[in-house]
Amino acid sequence: MLRDLAQAQQILWAVNIVAGVLLLVLLAVRKNYRAYPAFSLYVLLNLVLGILAFLVYSRLGFFSNASWRISWTMQALVICARGVAVMEVCKHLLSHYRGVWALAWRILVGCATLVLLYAGLAAKHDLRFVLPKAARALELAIAAVIVAVFVFLRYYDVEAKREDRSLAIGFCLYSCFSVLNNTVLERFLDSYVPLWNFLGMVAFLASILLWTWTLRRPQTEGTPKTLLPAGVYQTLAPQFNLRLRLLNEQLAQFWKTEATRN
Amino acid sequence: MNLALILFFGFVAILLLALGWALRKPRNARNLKSDPQALEQGQRHVDYLPQIRQALAKTDYDFLSKRASRGAQRRVRRDRRGIALNYLAALRGDFQGLLRMARVIAVLSPDVAAAHEFERLRLTAKFAWQYQMIRWKLTVGFAPLPQLDGLSELVSGLSVRMEAALKELGERAALAAELASSMDRRGMSAV
Repeated sequence: MLRDLAQAQQILWAVNIVAGVLLLVLLAVRKNYRAYPAFSLYVLLNLVLGILAFLVYSRLGFFSNASWRISWTMQALVICARGVAVMEVCKHLLSHYRGVWALAWRILVGCATLVLLYAGLAAKHDLRFVLPKAARALELAIAAVIVAVFVFLRYYDVEAKREDRSLAIGFCLYSCFSVLNNTVLERFLDSYVPLWNFLGMVAFLASILLWTWTLRRPQTEGTPKTLLPAGVYQTLAPQFNLRLRLLNEQLAQFWKTEATRN
Repeated sequence: MNLALILFFGFVAILLLALGWALRKPRNARNLKSDPQALEQGQRHVDYLPQIRQALAKTDYDFLSKRASRGAQRRVRRDRRGIALNYLAALRGDFQGLLRMARVIAVLSPDVAAAHEFERLRLTAKFAWQYQMIRWKLTVGFAPLPQLDGLSELVSGLSVRMEAALKELGERAALAAELASSMDRRGMSAV
């Protein structure tokens, strides 16, 4: 069983590398690296480090301490690159609306900080698996930030470009899966390592295929939206809120009337 | 069961649910988009307040309780409940129209104040909660019908203030509705 899994893992590793190269070629040929430089860099880094990890494991073995540390350090680098790529995609999704984006990015940073704190508190407090725990916290923060951006889009009724949405969904689903995978790894330790690695690669392959399909055509950078004069919002927003408050009062008084008479 | 396992699986489940909700098209999006005039409906139902008020008047009910049969009284009670529910729905429509207009302006503004946005979010949550509670109470008949008289009184009192606010918004609201309709035509795409 373990031998079969190891064999499947090696095949998957090769498939992942081929898929990564294909995506990279697509990014270069379609010149999509212009619209998504951080994303392109992330794919490149991931590919290079993937090949390096393969060499490290074949030299030092899968269960040695050295290969464990090296691979997790490389993983930390990849996650940081993913964080930057995610910020780029978030910017693509919202930054054409300058005012909302200025508000959104502050909330997103706050949200990421809170999630990191949550992940830190929820994890067991021992020094084992520090790197997987840090990676899990970062993955959770990435997933939360992407979900928060989608909530923003829904709240403000902004229809985003399909390509940006697909890239973000790919990142989010992969991050969610990584969190779950790392959590199970922490629980079952060594017995889960082969399966953990295999499932992680399957999830990553799924993301790569989604991104490849998304970026099969050339993408252009969006043009900034024509916005209203600055004073319009400052004048109208308080008045809208006043009217919303009046409607709320109307309901509240109805509610109070009901309550007192009951 | 490991606590970390529950906490992380739970958090991811919440994230996925939120993602599903955010990616789903709102049910009433098509209606709102196809009819930008709906944004100004706030004024319309206020126009019908005298009729609503008359329909909910206590004197009418007193008169009926003396003269009409029990069946007729029951029917009147049911009708009144229907009126109150319709009125609540109209209030909700007003609220959503205003909210949409406010969001359109926020999206198209170069500078957005967090305080106003959070205030609107708070008002939205409060409205949704109160609306559901009252609706549920009316639907299951927890509110005895004479109580509905209070509704017309408070509505007529507030309508004066609302009318004043509407007049003040006047041309600007029309401008915002125009903006909304132009955005709808363009599909509000990011590029």
